[in-house]
Amino acid sequence: MRAPALFLSLLLIPATAGAQDYLNCRFAPGWEQSGAIRQYVSGNLYDYKDGGAEGYLAYGFVRMTGIDCKSGANTLQIDVSEMADPDAAYGIFSANLDPAQPVARIGMGGQVQPQSASFAKGDYYVEIVEVAADPSANDTAMLQALAAKIESRLDGRVTPPEPLQWFPQQDLASVRMVPESVLGLRQLQRGFVAKYRQGQAFIVVEASPESAAAVLKALREHFAGASPAQIGDEAFEVKVPYLEGLCIFRKGRILAGYSNLPDASQAAIAAAKLAAYIP
Amino acid sequence: MASRTSRRSFISTGLSAGLLAPLAGATPAIGLLKPLDDPAPPNSPVKLTYKTLGRTGLKVTSVGFGCMITSDPSVVERAVDLGINYFDTARGYQNGNNERMVGAALGAKRKQIVLSTKSHAPDKAGMMLHLDQSLRELNTDYIDIWYLHGKDTPDQVPDELIEGQQLAKQQGKIRFAGVSTHSGQQQIVPWMVKKNVFDVVLAAYNFTMDASMDQAIDAAAKAGVGVVAMKVMAGGFRGLKPGNPLSQKLAQPGALLAALKWVVNKPGVATTVPSMTGMDQLDENLQAMQSPLSTGDRQILAAHLEQIGPLYCRMCGQCDGACKQGLPVADVLRCLTYADGYGQFALARERYLELAQAPGARCADCSACTVQCPHGVHVAARMTRAQELLS
Repeated sequence: MRAPALFLSLLLIPATAGAQDYLNCRFAPGWEQSGAIRQYVSGNLYDYKDGGAEGYLAYGFVRMTGIDCKSGANTLQIDVSEMADPDAAYGIFSANLDPAQPVARIGMGGQVQPQSASFAKGDYYVEIVEVAADPSANDTAMLQALAAKIESRLDGRVTPPEPLQWFPQQDLASVRMVPESVLGLRQLQRGFVAKYRQGQAFIVVEASPESAAAVLKALREHFAGASPAQIGDEAFEVKVPYLEGLCIFRKGRILAGYSNLPDASQAAIAAAKLAAYIP
Repeated sequence: MASRTSRRSFISTGLSAGLLAPLAGATPAIGLLKPLDDPAPPNSPVKLTYKTLGRTGLKVTSVGFGCMITSDPSVVERAVDLGINYFDTARGYQNGNNERMVGAALGAKRKQIVLSTKSHAPDKAGMMLHLDQSLRELNTDYIDIWYLHGKDTPDQVPDELIEGQQLAKQQGKIRFAGVSTHSGQQQIVPWMVKKNVFDVVLAAYNFTMDASMDQAIDAAAKAGVGVVAMKVMAGGFRGLKPGNPLSQKLAQPGALLAALKWVVNKPGVATTVPSMTGMDQLDENLQAMQSPLSTGDRQILAAHLEQIGPLYCRMCGQCDGACKQGLPVADVLRCLTYADGYGQFALARERYLELAQAPGARCADCSACTVQCPHGVHVAARMTRAQELLS
């Protein structure tokens, strides 16, 4: 068993060195590290995040590395979570962002507030929380600069998930990535949901046109009374409790549609507009 | 005195004797408030069972709804219409977005249900700020049960947090005060009973846990503290690597429902809050109220425990001090779980090296192991593997 142990110890070295690269309190002038670097994995994230851990796990949480920084009586908690893939990293970022506040151009997307900052880049989701002695302190500029320095040391994609570009922008209230059961339907395993002033749109990217067709068939059978619609490669519309007017179409390996409109025909009209944006 | 009966033998006993746990209504009701006369919706197509939530007097469905990772409000709306009447969220879930979703989903039906949320704030000022935010996001003027979030030891509950809950009661912003706990139940639940200022405990409780947990839960219920169970499906399995035996076992057909039924049928537990993201999960979980824990369910759970038994340390603490070389057995096995269960060798090794151990102590040096795990973990073999892998 010595050889595997040696191999494992070699694997540890770059992981630790990487964390030191992007976790440095001195990225923010006047701040010093307090305590050791902390690490969590899916098995012990409850120790740190309590029940909130399940939210991370739903997005394919792999591991978290973090440090605390001190400046006088103020503390910064910096946590960098590695997620399953960039879409999942963007997903947890989008689930946690405040829709009433603007999104900043950090990595794939970020948000900076007076005492907190967060962003996603590549597989990473970064959270910075300040515990300030003065609850009314506004450290937006410091947090913006710190987030930028951490972001510059993380590898990975800086463009948001492509499907987000396909949602019509008019009356768009919020977008998020849903890790499972889009619209509460188990068949739609993972996708993007855009909330509008009225109704919501969704996009699910399947592995292949064949698998997308199979899911659409299962959904059509699930909803009694569904009638065909002329959108994309195939589509149906229906009015059902809770999702109200609903239209789902397939375009290649993409499943998309509209729900929660007053009737099925309105959902079909909105879905047709969405289909026009999808390549 | 804590029973030494293991969960496995308990389930086996139940199987051989054909015992079934008492159903709804077994929890003592110490009603300070008049409960709803008829909490059932008039046209619910499913059979619902109700229990009294301790001294609150609230009649709650024995299956509730954990909203934490629910994305679509339609699932919450349908659960309300089907008659589920206990819904749980927290200020910290998705940075407040979860409360916002729940508030929007409940809408005008909010007063039909029992709503709980939580604050993780460390001080009174912070928790009162959280409470006002929760009320705003949930679009309500009162919270039925307000928990102090994730408290595992009494010293995590300073007096100022208790004062905050009492103040919120006086202000009419909350009806009842509670504490949620993930891993310190055997310590904090008896403390809560003794403190006599908490109405409800939300505790991790499932079929894999030691029998002493049953005693803590039953004692709380008998004292009038309402018990809400979470992680009822041995929570945390979501995070296991694909292919891990623990997740594979709970993925078996019927296993999750059997685990839920096990808790629903515990007389000391008033309700449960399984997470639900989709309509299918909702339908499946409702089945836990349709029929009692069956012999088949017990067989599934017993088989599950049998298979994970040799590997899975439940951190019951019964092996503390049992190693004649002074090795911290439970801590070492937990490190090994990080490596074997979660594939995180770096963390496993780091935590292993942090443990205070006698230098050079090795399981291979002993001719026989002095540690006998009541749950059947093969201690010597697992310790040896940990030493080979992580030293």
